[in-house]
Amino acid sequence: MKRYDCLKAIAPRFGEELVVTNIGAVRHEWQALRPHPGNYHLQNLGLTSSMALGLALALPHRKVVAFDGDGSLLLNLGSLATIANQHPANLIHIVFDNECYESSRGAPTATAGRADLAAIARGAGFANVMTAKTLGEFEGGFLRALKSNDLHFILAKVEAGAGEVPAAALDSQENKYLFVRYIEKSENLKILTATPSRASSPR
Amino acid sequence: MKREVAAEIVDSLKEAGVDFVATLTEANLHDLVIALGEDPAIHHVPVTREEEGIGVCAGAYLGGKKPAMVMMNAGFLLSANAIATVCIHPGIPVLMLIGHSGGVGEENAGHATVGALTEPVLQAMHIVYEKVGRFEEIRPAVRDSQTLARSSRRPTAIVLNKQALR
Repeated sequence: MKRYDCLKAIAPRFGEELVVTNIGAVRHEWQALRPHPGNYHLQNLGLTSSMALGLALALPHRKVVAFDGDGSLLLNLGSLATIANQHPANLIHIVFDNECYESSRGAPTATAGRADLAAIARGAGFANVMTAKTLGEFEGGFLRALKSNDLHFILAKVEAGAGEVPAAALDSQENKYLFVRYIEKSENLKILTATPSRASSPR
Repeated sequence: MKREVAAEIVDSLKEAGVDFVATLTEANLHDLVIALGEDPAIHHVPVTREEEGIGVCAGAYLGGKKPAMVMMNAGFLLSANAIATVCIHPGIPVLMLIGHSGGVGEENAGHATVGALTEPVLQAMHIVYEKVGRFEEIRPAVRDSQTLARSSRRPTAIVLNKQALR
């Protein structure tokens, strides 16, 4: 099973769900499959789960899906305990586990050895945890999570290798503005409120 | 930190519009962390590592919250990469309240190095900060630091010195 095939299988199911992607090829794959202002592509290894938690807590009525990786989550294992304790019912935490640092030339991660991220998630306090080894298991697990009103952790055991897609033409500042403007419009919120300058205000 | 100082910080945060706070506690921050957890107007997220809190705050900002992060200076140093990549690079504001151990008056020999590094690292990261010690400085520092964070779309910091923490 390849990560790109997993993403391709679930992309048609997305409507207005918010997505946070890990750094690396997954952002380009997802942006090609589902170009949408509700995609936030993180330029940091490790904090995908935490960004998704903050977003899910801020907008509890919106579904938030995190596309995390094994190397990223291993940097931030404590976030699993924080997420389980906060227990946002609108968050689906998906980890594509290719057992290597693929974007950094492929050295093995700890999951190539004895570590099992699904067992760690269970131990951190996640109630709904599954490991998907086939495309059918992954798609079925995702749809169950999407329909439910509860926190889910899905570990997708994938082969290394990226989909052949063009690089996503979004830099971080542009991505942030597009995402925030989309949230402002869809949620009727003011996030980037311009403060009137004293010099230009009428006397 | 005295309870009335903690209460003044919580009240100042709320007056500045802050409605979401991630914390990692320490002996000096204990009363503040407990007060934040008890306040119904603030969503409190205790984290396991400070850089995790930076990520949670940034995500909350994208969803329309007005976040702040409470931590000690050791946690700020630990979070330097997270602040750079998650906040400064895309332009996401997070108000940081940083307890400063290792400054003048410090008795614990182990804290002096972290204390000496805190301000130079804030300066190197071009993070605007205010040093706060006296009770009456708290409210304007919180208000003005939050105003700058929101308008500049950058993290700002308040460094709580030994006097404020005592």
